Amino acid sequence: MSVEDLPRKEVNVLKGHEGAVLSARFNADGNYCLSCGKDRTIRLWNPHRGIHIKTYKSHGREVRDVHVTSDNSKLCSCGGDRQIFYWDVATGRVIRKFRGHDGEVNAVKFNEYSSVVVSAGYDQSLRSWDCRSHSTEPMQIIDTFSDSVMFVCLTNTEIIGGSDDGTVRTFDIRIGRETSDNLGQPVNCISMSNDGNCILAGCLDSTLRLLDRSTGESLQEYKGHTNKSFKLDCCLTNTDAHVTAGSEDGYIYFWDLVDASVVSRFRAHNSVVTSVSYHPKENCMVTASVDGTIRVWKT
Amino acid sequence: MDSDEEDFVFYGTPIEREEELTSRKKKAIAESSGQLRTLPAWKQEVRDEEGRRRFHGAFTGGYSAGYYNTVGSKEGWTPQTFRSSRKNRAEFKEQNILNFLDEDEKAELDGRFLGTSSQFDTFGFTAAEIARKQAEKEQKQRPSVIPGPAPDELIQPATESIGLYHVILVESWLKIIYFLSPSCYFVGVKLLLKMGWRRGRSIKDSHADALYDARRQARRAFLAFSSDDPKVNTSESEQNKDDVETFLEQSTNDDVQSSKSTPVFVLNPKQDLYGLGFDPYKHAPEFREKKRSRLSSKGGPGYSKNMSTRNSLFSLKSGKSAPGFGIGALEELDAEDEDVYATGFEFEDTYVQEVEEPSTLRLENQKKKDQKDQKDHDNLPGFRVASNTDYQMERFEAPPIPKDFVPRHSFSGPLEINHKNYDLPPPDIPPPEDSNLKILIEGVANLVARCGKLYEDISREKNQSNPLFSFLSGGTGHDYYARKLWEAQQKCKDKTKPLLDGKVSSDVKRLTAESRGQILGEKPLERSLQDPSSSVASTDVHLQFNLTDTFTKSEPFGELPDVEKPFKHDPAKQERFEQFLKDKYRGGLRSTKSSLAGDMSEAARARERLDFEAAAEAILKGKEGKESNLGIPSSMDFITGGLMQFTSGEAEPKKDLQSEDLAQKKKYPRREEFQWRPSALLCKRFDLIDPYMGKPAPAPRSRSKLDSLIFTSDSAKGAKIEEPVLSKNISYVQQSANQDITKSTAESETEGDVEVENIERPVDLYKAIFSDDSDDGGEDPNNLEKVENQEKKAEVANTALSRLIAGDFLESLGKELGLEVPPDMPYPSQKFRNTASQEENINEHSRTNTLNVEHNSEMPPNHGLPSDQDTVYEGGPSKGDVIHANMLESGSTKINATGIYDSKSSKSNGERYKNDMKIKSPLPREQDHSSGSSSEEERKRKRSGKSSRDKHEEYRKTKTLSTHRRDYSSGSSSEEESSRKRSRHHRHRRRTESDPSSERDRHGSRSKERKKGSSREKSSRSRKHSKHHKHRRH
Repeated sequence: MSVEDLPRKEVNVLKGHEGAVLSARFNADGNYCLSCGKDRTIRLWNPHRGIHIKTYKSHGREVRDVHVTSDNSKLCSCGGDRQIFYWDVATGRVIRKFRGHDGEVNAVKFNEYSSVVVSAGYDQSLRSWDCRSHSTEPMQIIDTFSDSVMFVCLTNTEIIGGSDDGTVRTFDIRIGRETSDNLGQPVNCISMSNDGNCILAGCLDSTLRLLDRSTGESLQEYKGHTNKSFKLDCCLTNTDAHVTAGSEDGYIYFWDLVDASVVSRFRAHNSVVTSVSYHPKENCMVTASVDGTIRVWKT
Repeated sequence: MDSDEEDFVFYGTPIEREEELTSRKKKAIAESSGQLRTLPAWKQEVRDEEGRRRFHGAFTGGYSAGYYNTVGSKEGWTPQTFRSSRKNRAEFKEQNILNFLDEDEKAELDGRFLGTSSQFDTFGFTAAEIARKQAEKEQKQRPSVIPGPAPDELIQPATESIGLYHVILVESWLKIIYFLSPSCYFVGVKLLLKMGWRRGRSIKDSHADALYDARRQARRAFLAFSSDDPKVNTSESEQNKDDVETFLEQSTNDDVQSSKSTPVFVLNPKQDLYGLGFDPYKHAPEFREKKRSRLSSKGGPGYSKNMSTRNSLFSLKSGKSAPGFGIGALEELDAEDEDVYATGFEFEDTYVQEVEEPSTLRLENQKKKDQKDQKDHDNLPGFRVASNTDYQMERFEAPPIPKDFVPRHSFSGPLEINHKNYDLPPPDIPPPEDSNLKILIEGVANLVARCGKLYEDISREKNQSNPLFSFLSGGTGHDYYARKLWEAQQKCKDKTKPLLDGKVSSDVKRLTAESRGQILGEKPLERSLQDPSSSVASTDVHLQFNLTDTFTKSEPFGELPDVEKPFKHDPAKQERFEQFLKDKYRGGLRSTKSSLAGDMSEAARARERLDFEAAAEAILKGKEGKESNLGIPSSMDFITGGLMQFTSGEAEPKKDLQSEDLAQKKKYPRREEFQWRPSALLCKRFDLIDPYMGKPAPAPRSRSKLDSLIFTSDSAKGAKIEEPVLSKNISYVQQSANQDITKSTAESETEGDVEVENIERPVDLYKAIFSDDSDDGGEDPNNLEKVENQEKKAEVANTALSRLIAGDFLESLGKELGLEVPPDMPYPSQKFRNTASQEENINEHSRTNTLNVEHNSEMPPNHGLPSDQDTVYEGGPSKGDVIHANMLESGSTKINATGIYDSKSSKSNGERYKNDMKIKSPLPREQDHSSGSSSEEERKRKRSGKSSRDKHEEYRKTKTLSTHRRDYSSGSSSEEESSRKRSRHHRHRRRTESDPSSERDRHGSRSKERKKGSSREKSSRSRKHSKHHKHRRH
């Protein structure tokens, strides 16, 4: 993929959030996107047509992360009210609330079968919740982290958590092993490469680090943007050719995956770009910012 | 067609077809349902459901009546109004004629209602009603940007203060009356006039007035307080008040009752989209003002400026605006819960944007407004508002800023003002011939420039007689003086300028070489006194040395202590070595030729160089390790040995440094692996097979040092508690030794219950095994204190004793342990914690462990046996004896491993809490002993293989150890039995020999334990065993 194919043209601006947007995510097929923010709402958009579809209101405090099942039927969201909400997409009703975190919940994800919600909390724990049964207790609490867990990623067999204690911990359910990769810097965000071999970890020293999952080696470091105090997202493009991340000065950066050079950077928002999400198939990207807008970028 | 018809002849009447009938019916229905109504009244026909025309209601002229041409209603004959009063008696619906009237009838009736004549409508209620209706009509006709009933604004919402309510109400009504019909006089007004009321005066009582005054004062004070410019603000704020308020304020300005408040009607149309009566600026009047200013300054350039100046009050806050989305009422927020991310958002950028954006927005607004205004006012009949106006906002580009413009205003200093007359530089004049005079002139000029004109005057006065100073008063050299003075002043100016304009210039201030050097901490080069014409080489060297000096950090090798002089015997060599060190570590320029060793051969020099390298490295290492005593001798050996071969050249140390840097970098990312057990349900939900299916749960890993600290205190308590248990055990050993079996069995039966609780506690097995018979204090289980004391004393002896009595390996182990035993040890279990080099010990032990375990695993049959020992045990005493004998043979090797485990576990007593934690959740273990222990040992071997590990690993190691220990300790419940048995069988044996057997027994009993889950069973088992013993005894 050449640099020209990077999504740098603004197609739509999704306005509606009253306050900072903390996260914006494509759904599994990339036709819709979800956003959540400080206004305590979750919003469902069609980013390609720039239409606001639905608003989900129930959270008592800011919503920090949202994830949707691959069949688009359920949502899970989390935020400052220490709860994980399990929503029905169509009706907009909360099906269940998972309580148990002792602090704010930073990130939340469904597993492949949408049967488990894994949440990462400020209380230094990862918790997995059962969507199938009606138990209110978490199925498992992983509390080996020594600081706030900022992000969680799930694969078919693993739970990967990134924490402010500088570690990216991979919990392999298949063999029952925890692999801890200490990066030495607080980890804000982790993102899997599409081939599943690498982890991109966004650290608070304004560096993204690419880790080889099998060996734990650092493959590359991406610098240039500013990320010192916010929880910013980073991700790889759909072809794994580039790495992208937002910056606290409102810029979006694209790096070449291999030689870590800044391929492109442009000012996308007026304020901190909190979240970037790349379309799973096309060259399309949504970015969210503290300025309250979500912008859709295409080539 | 016509011709065709003519051809046919029709007979009879045609039969109406059914289709036609139905179609007619359909038509009737359709007509009756909707179509009919659209027709004018005279064309409408009433038809029945068959579609036939029917006449009804002859009196009313053909109205269709009833329900489908019946007399009844849909409900039948029951009248709609009838309700049985049986159940809902109280309900009584009042009927009105209006209920039965149609809309048109109502309209007809409208004129006939009774109402208040406008003549008597003093306070204008009806008038207001009419007015509102009219206004509504107007509103409908006139398209407006503002939705909602505008006339409501006419009636000012005066509900702010209830006390004033009626007064304001009256006034507002009056206002309306005036507004609507100023010409007509109402009866009430007439009456009021008669009563002394004059137009323009307010009707109010004094109480309300006073109350209002107080309020007004307070508001004013607040306003004055909150605005930076009170003068402007008060006047402005007065204007900016709601009109009612201003009206009232003006009215109340006079304290006299009869205030001359002329009700000035300022229409305040509702221009916002807020709800009625909602004042968004209720608590923030400053914002109202801001908004007003924004509205009033019609898009002029002053807008943004205005805003910024207005902002001065809020400038502190404006940088950061609160997120605004708060906390639910039910959410409590403690200090610790304070949201880290909530306050952090800076809205500076958005704020700026806000300033930018409205400019366009405002323009649009402006246009709209203009259009509207035109529509409203200039819409003359026959004219239409032009769709596109010629008028356009003229925009001017900002003037370009000159490139050399410095955005800093410099004020001319007072000094410059004083010496303005010198601004014109005097012509350059050659100095006078007299060098003395020249120097004098120059000096004076400098002084004058520095000290001011006064000095010149004084010196002129003083030296009037002196011919040398004639230049001051226009004598020889005056011109030169003037020139010099000017020069000096220029210099002074240059110097003082930075002082004048402060910090800006401080940045600009140039760094001189000296100051830079000072900042960097460089020593100025010594100006060589030598003539520059002397040899270049020597200056070179000199320079070099100076340079090396200048680049030093803090003389790490300035004066080497005696120890660090490895070449004391050869002062020349030592000197060269020091030189070498200097070169090596201090950086700077390096002389290619080593002048000191000029007379040496190339090979010798190379060798020496290598020596130096080695020595230097040794010294460095010694320093790093802070073990100069150890490090240096070794380095001495190193060098004096002289046989060392160095493959790496001199570049190595540098590389080392670099690699060190790399290592620092390489430290991250660091990978560690731990065991982690996913819950079964999680595996199920992930559709994976539980890797730990059927296996016992691993003990929780400790998370931090803090935790362990917290727990250790607990474990210390636990250790104390377990002391008596231990002593009891010992006592039983002794008792069994005394062959007081009957007593012991009796005791053990009672003991069984006691041990149900105590069994879980880790017992220091080391002590348990090797505790001596001489420990008499153990006899008395009640005298716990005494026992403890004696335990302490005895333990030191025990370690020594154990050294003697254990097997060869144990002996060596004991030696190892003995080395570490400090003489005064409160608890033997803590001795290894207290030792300094405990890490090393652990490593050593783990190493020995690996050996040992290997040794151990070579004898699987021994492991296999005890698993069925239970049955064997029960089956017959003879068989048990055989096994016992077998045990004894392998005992010496067996105990090695266990002994080490014990010592290790005792060593790691600090983590004893592990045991507690673990034991609190006793686990059913399905595997028999042999497989369990072997797997454990395997795991252990793995652990000890990676011997040098960090804390986590160590904890885990000790954890697994503790599992062993747990097993043993739990096994110790049957220890007394075993010891009893032992004593019975090997009564004449020495303890050393019997130990292995006890060990074996313990293994056996442990396997039994595993089969039986609960400790309750254990106790019963012990009872059973004791019975068994009895039986065997008989």
